[in-house]
Amino acid sequence: MKVYIKSLVFTGMLILVGGGLFLYSGVYPIGADTRHNSLTYWLLETLREHSVARAASDLSIPSDLNNSNRLLSGGADYNDMCVSCHLKPGMSESDFTLGLYPTPPNLSETAAEHGHDHASRADHDGALKRQFWIIKHGIKASGMPAWGPGHDDERIWSMVAFLQRLPELSAAQYQILSARDNSIDE
Amino acid sequence: MKIKTLTFAIALSTLAFTVSAQAHDPKEHMKNAEKPDCSAMKNMDHSKMDHNKMDMDDPVMQAMMKQCMKNMHHDENSADESHDDHQKDRNDHDPKHQH
Ligand code: HEC
Repeated sequence: MKVYIKSLVFTGMLILVGGGLFLYSGVYPIGADTRHNSLTYWLLETLREHSVARAASDLSIPSDLNNSNRLLSGGADYNDMCVSCHLKPGMSESDFTLGLYPTPPNLSETAAEHGHDHASRADHDGALKRQFWIIKHGIKASGMPAWGPGHDDERIWSMVAFLQRLPELSAAQYQILSARDNSIDE
Repeated sequence: MKIKTLTFAIALSTLAFTVSAQAHDPKEHMKNAEKPDCSAMKNMDHSKMDHNKMDMDDPVMQAMMKQCMKNMHHDENSADESHDDHQKDRNDHDPKHQH
């Protein structure tokens, strides 16, 4: 029993010292142009998905998400704030998609096309809540900003509504929906 | 007393700062606002899609109609949106509005 405790303490110290050495040595490659190894990737992705799922679980989805006015509000906002990172129909890359890591997913493609398997949140409502939460709160240490400070929930839900239709829009349809110049001067 | 004044000053400047960063109006985005290219929509209607396929229950279609109806009213005096054209569009779409 005594030996057991001793070796436990020893291992603990070893991990602490090793971790400290690693931290201070500077060998970790922090540059965005060095990809994560698969362990770090898995750790971060698991952390992100579970954190978002838990935080978003008690959101309630507005019933009028299918309203055409939401598409107009969300489309114009998307065009102003998100295109540089998340692209639009007819656009395949930007400086942000080339340089940011994690790479912002191309939201003008369906989930399957942009190479995620969103199997963990197969249910549609879960996907809507997840998007709302991510847009409102952003994601730490990635390029995704929190849009909550500055935009109320209604506007964010409208962006979520727009995202549901975005992958099927042609470039011309996208242009009409997202043009701001007469969506607000009633 | 001094502390109180200081606290007040800090609170006030914080408030001023917060207010300046408050939710902004969509109008603030108007600087680089685009006009909807509704001529593209006419092509969609008249050549590519036939009218039976135009689904007026589809929110995307409704939203495009909203954008372009307004646009036509704005551009009424411009050459290619002449009154005739406008009228014709009306006739084309009206029956489908009725559900
Ligand atoms: C500066 C670049 C940038 C901008 C601008 C930006 N995003 Fe993001 N966004 C990202 C990045 C990077 C990620 C991926 C984060 C990750 O994987 O951890 C992301 C992730 C997302 C996701 C989750 C995608 C998924 O299914 O995994 C959504 C939804 C999203 N952004 C919506 C938006 C919306 C809406 C806007 C505009 C209001 C926006 N983003 C603006 C960089 C950006």
